[in-house]
Amino acid sequence: MADVLVLGAMQSAVYALLALGFTLIFGVGRVVNLAHGAFYALGAYAAYTLVVVWKFPLLPGALVAVLFTALVGIGVDRVLVRPVRRSITAVLILTLVFALLTEQVLYAVYGYTSRNIPAFTTATWNLFGVQVPGQRVVTFGVAAALVGILWALVYHTRTGATLLAVAQDREAALYMGIDVDRVTSLTMAASAALAGAAGVLTAPLLVVSPHMWLLPLVKSFAIVILGGLGSIPGSLLASLVVGYAETTVSYFVASALADLIPLLLILAMLLLRPTGLLGRHVEV
Amino acid sequence: MDGNPSSASEGAVLVPARTRGRPWGYAAAAASGFLLLTVPVWLPDRYVLSTFVLAHLYAAMAAGWDVLSGFTGRENFGYALFVGTGAYAAALLSTRLQFPLWCTILAGPVVAAGLALLVGGPALRLRGPYFALASLAAAGVLERMTLLLWPITGGEEGVFGVPPLSLSAATTYYVTLAFAAAAVGGLWWATRGTWGLVLRAIRANEAACEACGVHTFPHKMGALLLSATTGGLAGSLYAHVQEHVGPSVYSAALSVTVIIMSVVGGVGTVYGAAAGGYLLTLLSESLRRFGEYRLLVFALALLPVVLYMPRGVLPHLLGHLRRRER
Repeated sequence: MADVLVLGAMQSAVYALLALGFTLIFGVGRVVNLAHGAFYALGAYAAYTLVVVWKFPLLPGALVAVLFTALVGIGVDRVLVRPVRRSITAVLILTLVFALLTEQVLYAVYGYTSRNIPAFTTATWNLFGVQVPGQRVVTFGVAAALVGILWALVYHTRTGATLLAVAQDREAALYMGIDVDRVTSLTMAASAALAGAAGVLTAPLLVVSPHMWLLPLVKSFAIVILGGLGSIPGSLLASLVVGYAETTVSYFVASALADLIPLLLILAMLLLRPTGLLGRHVEV
Repeated sequence: MDGNPSSASEGAVLVPARTRGRPWGYAAAAASGFLLLTVPVWLPDRYVLSTFVLAHLYAAMAAGWDVLSGFTGRENFGYALFVGTGAYAAALLSTRLQFPLWCTILAGPVVAAGLALLVGGPALRLRGPYFALASLAAAGVLERMTLLLWPITGGEEGVFGVPPLSLSAATTYYVTLAFAAAAVGGLWWATRGTWGLVLRAIRANEAACEACGVHTFPHKMGALLLSATTGGLAGSLYAHVQEHVGPSVYSAALSVTVIIMSVVGGVGTVYGAAAGGYLLTLLSESLRRFGEYRLLVFALALLPVVLYMPRGVLPHLLGHLRRRER
């Protein structure tokens, strides 16, 4: 039981990292960003290239990888999303195409074999009687810290206030003198950085492979749909639900079924309560 | 819906001004029909014909996608759900149970329509990003299921040894052409009158439709069923053409290919979407040396269309012809 509690918390922290970025850019830009999983994959591959291929030290390598994903996020926003922002279909198609292209480019550059990143630490910790590899503790700690920093930035700074203003009413924010496009780009950068950080943090636990974008994307969806598209507290709550549901199923039933949970959750939620647990209806 | 469907006030908003373009439209349809009928005569190359077979199937899929998504505004990001289900139904029935060919071909659309009936009720209440995400997830569920149920579906490898549609390339060509013509013609005919107007009205303002006494659900369901049947039939034909079915028939790449074809060709017209299917299939085959980067070609084709010709290439061109005529 303690196993499920500890491992579930760690799973949930990573999911929160992924889902927050996804919900943020939807809330602020009304962009359903299907490239979100690609940012995750790019973060992991950037870390792999820097640390394993170019022999960077671990910490700067990880930071540069996250910075790189943020820049890619800004690029995607400027080039693909901004020109067609008014058409939700065009945004969905273009971001999905970006994700598929990223996968193809990664196949072309790195080939079909999966890669590994060495763990940040090899120590083992004993938490509540559960033996936990140090890497998981690091992943959990950094993810939780990043979520906390994001929360503080959004709810307690001036930039955060402009962000919330744009999310609430784009036009009114424009009238108040807020550079709406800049705020959207900034949000996309933050969202991509969070996804990239999730990629860097989980890369040592899983393998790095070009199709690694799809599952995180689906999970971000599931969480964000469950919590309500655009709602930050809802996403945090839903991350816990999905993280623990998956851990429980893979612990007590079978890990192959765990991946099916988010998909079924999306379907059930969309069909029963499309606005999510804590979301409110938004016109798009 | 009684009253005159083509009255000017309604038509101005909802119907792309096409009535006056009919002569051009019919001429273009007749010319392209004639060209397609004679392809095996002047290009009797097996590879060229197989490319055109794919183009027929994609054109039908794009038209099938359009009748639901282009008309009622429910953008289906999981069209592969119907195509894949049709393909697997045909492949499994013919290899595991040795059903005759005509039976397995018909099984595709029947199973796909059954699936549409099952998911349509709850799913059609959604719209915008919610419908898009639900459809994407639904196709994803089935893609995972084919992997989980590998003893039946063959997992990653898929199903091999599906009997071919016909050993003759020309016969395969004409069978798929007949299917594409029937699908595109049938869907165009079904949506050209009052019913198409109802579907467009649902996209424009569903609440207003209900307020006018039009119960929208049966119309949406009808469009979904037509869409699913077309996709299922395209899927079962695809299985027999390729003689193999793998999980890629459920992939997001297939769904997005069909969407791009429709959007490039022209959404909400059926014939535009079908033209997009031909255009992009032939274009991507002629760019074969780019291999895996085909989607990049599609994306590059998509950007200018979305930005400068939001109605799609074909309606845009027909619009130009019409203006010059006046």
